[in-house]
Amino acid sequence: MEFDGKTILVTGSTRGIGTAAAALFLERGGSVVLHGRRQADVDAAVARLSAAHSSDRVRGLSADLSDRKACRGLATSIDGLDILVNCGGIFREAAIAETSLALWDETIAVNLTAAWVLSQALLPKLRATRGTIVNVGSDAALLGYAGCAAYCASKGALVGLTRALATELAPEVRVLCLCPGPTETDMMRASIGTAPDEEKARQQWASYTLLNRVAAPTEIAESILLAASPRATYLTGSVIMADGGATAGKRV
Amino acid sequence: MAEVTFDYGGRVALVTGAGRGLGFAIAKALFKAGATVAVNDRTAESCAAAIARLGGGPGLIAAPADLATGNGPANAVAQATAGGRLDFLINNAAVNVERPVTATDDAHWDLHLNVILRASFLTAQAALPYLRQSRGCIVNIASELGLHAIANNVAYISAKHGLVAMTKAMAIELAPTGIRANALCPGTMDTELMQECARDSGDPASYYAAFNRYHPIGRLATPDEIAAFVLCLLSSAAGYMTGAAVTIDGGSTAGRQ
Ligand SMILES: NC(=O)c1ccc[n+]([C@@H]2O[C@H](COP(=O)([O-])OP(=O)(O)OC[C@H]3O[C@@H](n4cnc5c(N)ncnc54)[C@H](O)[C@@H]3O)[C@@H](O)[C@H]2O)c1
Repeated sequence: MEFDGKTILVTGSTRGIGTAAAALFLERGGSVVLHGRRQADVDAAVARLSAAHSSDRVRGLSADLSDRKACRGLATSIDGLDILVNCGGIFREAAIAETSLALWDETIAVNLTAAWVLSQALLPKLRATRGTIVNVGSDAALLGYAGCAAYCASKGALVGLTRALATELAPEVRVLCLCPGPTETDMMRASIGTAPDEEKARQQWASYTLLNRVAAPTEIAESILLAASPRATYLTGSVIMADGGATAGKRV
Repeated sequence: MAEVTFDYGGRVALVTGAGRGLGFAIAKALFKAGATVAVNDRTAESCAAAIARLGGGPGLIAAPADLATGNGPANAVAQATAGGRLDFLINNAAVNVERPVTATDDAHWDLHLNVILRASFLTAQAALPYLRQSRGCIVNIASELGLHAIANNVAYISAKHGLVAMTKAMAIELAPTGIRANALCPGTMDTELMQECARDSGDPASYYAAFNRYHPIGRLATPDEIAAFVLCLLSSAAGYMTGAAVTIDGGSTAGRQ
């Protein structure tokens, strides 16, 4: 199978896009290291996934991504690594005037700095396997959204990180950024849930895309595996939009 | 080439990192065009020196503040708005120390992210009430490295890319208020920063030669020609521009020679 013999760390994989990606890697032969903030969530995700795929190729580690020391600890706990998927992230909406310094700092720490710290710390292991880093960005890296200045900044910077790493680490390590559009996960549900009319809010997200719907997590996971695939030998530094066409076109 | 002139009489501008380099050139151009200019830099001495070089006078406000800190940006804005008005915010301050991935430590990462990205958010946040009133304008000085990469500059490149993305988010959010926000992405300018990078390289002559070659136009930009374009971005000539990331890079992001 495509990922036979490969070890893959997926951060933020106790739910959402990360879980979906971890499940697909597992299904296609990979050994997966799950990651979440809380050990109990990680244990539950490991149990769920290993039962669903009757596989012992799953294990899990916990670390708070806003804590660099914890990220470095996570990196040390991993022996060999072929693919790093930086998927953990947070989405906190706030108008510019209402954005606290804490919101800004946490958004940058989790969405950007954790990916940087893990990439740097795991670099020797990734060099050894001529591995791949996939950063999970967002259409918000390229499209501005009101009330999302911190989030857009963090995801735009993640694209910059991707390009800088790809430039410097070629040809040993491929580095890509896979940018999902609106995807039906807890992250989106939390945002929709606070809207006055939930269905209208979902339709609003959907309307940003050409496909006029939000994505299922497995659709995004498929694109992550595409980027990470050992067959994708000429893809590096790429910013791949898995956004239902959101950045390609707009309705009048 | 025809000279373009602007009249910014009665307008108030804050230029961050205006002690030298491009920031100084922007402050000079705005001051010449009649604006009141608040000059920010890290120290009171560097602000005073820049103001003295501009000839001094009531149209120049010293706004020293260390933008790497959490309250520095608001502090700079408070000094600039002592007269109760602000029309233009130009986020220009930056640090740029080249380092390979393996030598980039936490302090280096944080300094670049804080001065380039976080400070630009925080100055805009603090300036917002004034900019609303004046239907003013934000120009974020990004870089061609906000649009593509070179080796050995991971912190700077990440921060500049973030700045371009943040500019778009601000432009969208502020569009209904009449405030415009744009990012300017210069190529290599012959400023003190460039001279430092050249010196640090150990071989300034070939460093410069490489960058002359790197830009299809065959030379570096002068700070004054970039500053002139900033004034254009602030003018009614750019009244329909918001959320743009404008390259002014001698062709370096356009293609390969
Ligand atoms: N020089 C180039 O080739 C080049 C190319 C593309 C973009 N840029 C961008 O243009 C802008 C100006 O660059 P430059 O070449 O004039 O640089 P410079 O180093 O000559 O000037 C930068 C100024 O910012 C100030 N500054 C730095 N940290 C600060 C802080 N914490 N608080 C307050 N002020 C601070 C410095 O003291 C300095 O006066 C920067 O945003 C830079 O990233 C420069």
